[in-house]
Amino acid sequence: MALGKIKADTLEHSTAGSLDTQYVVNGSAKAWVTGSSAAAIATGQSLNISGGTDHGTGDYSYAFISSLDSASYTGAVAPHGGGLRLATSYTVRNTTGVFAIYVGTSNSAASDHGHCGAAFGSLA
Amino acid sequence: MTDTPQFQGTHLFDRLCWAKENLDGVQSDYRVVYEDSVDECAKILVPDPNWMATALQGGILPPVWVYHELAKDEARSDFKKHTRGYLLHETEPMPAMTEEEAIEYLIMKDCPQSVWRNWNEGNKPKMVICRKEQLPSTREWRNAWKITEELTVTDLAA
Repeated sequence: MALGKIKADTLEHSTAGSLDTQYVVNGSAKAWVTGSSAAAIATGQSLNISGGTDHGTGDYSYAFISSLDSASYTGAVAPHGGGLRLATSYTVRNTTGVFAIYVGTSNSAASDHGHCGAAFGSLA
Repeated sequence: MTDTPQFQGTHLFDRLCWAKENLDGVQSDYRVVYEDSVDECAKILVPDPNWMATALQGGILPPVWVYHELAKDEARSDFKKHTRGYLLHETEPMPAMTEEEAIEYLIMKDCPQSVWRNWNEGNKPKMVICRKEQLPSTREWRNAWKITEELTVTDLAA
């Protein structure tokens, strides 16, 4: 693949200081997704996701295409759409290849609802 | 049609970034309904449109056995981190698939092996591929959804 490549350990601004590029590499989301209440994904609303699974009311998971190196990555999740809901990264189901999201109401009852999430960690 | 660059040896994540820039997503109407526990409701697997585009394009995704090898590593009691991630990036990518072949690949990648290896053993199938229109139109009683008892393995084989 013919790609231009710039190798740099540091980016330096003329006045604002410098930034080690490992912050960019390590701090970027390695996968993200916006899913419907049935785990369907609209075109363009994901990166590094092969599919969504609807496990039941409010219980969803998404599979990575390029796996993460360990299952202890960080998932940042949120409800998506109208109405008051809560979402949590369902770490019990997370693996290096799966990112799980649980959505509930404010009194913790599972709830079908749109949701979104991003996974931060290192790729395998 | 956009030609796929020679990707073998390129990090899989970089290939996905290329695909996101260069390929239009393909929404599939196929859904995979499966049951991996008699005590739980049926699960429904939905293909990602960006992933489907990479499968139809060819030259991007690794063979599915690579994921099975990584899953074997992760199942070991002493697993901490993947050390064979290179399999994702250095194995020769899959050629272009049809939509049906892509769904088969997705099943073998994202459904539990206990389901797809034995889907037709038992009184009723553990897994069914259907169109999204064949699913219930509302999510009422979602946690009670099951593959119908009236569907037999013989029906599916016919």
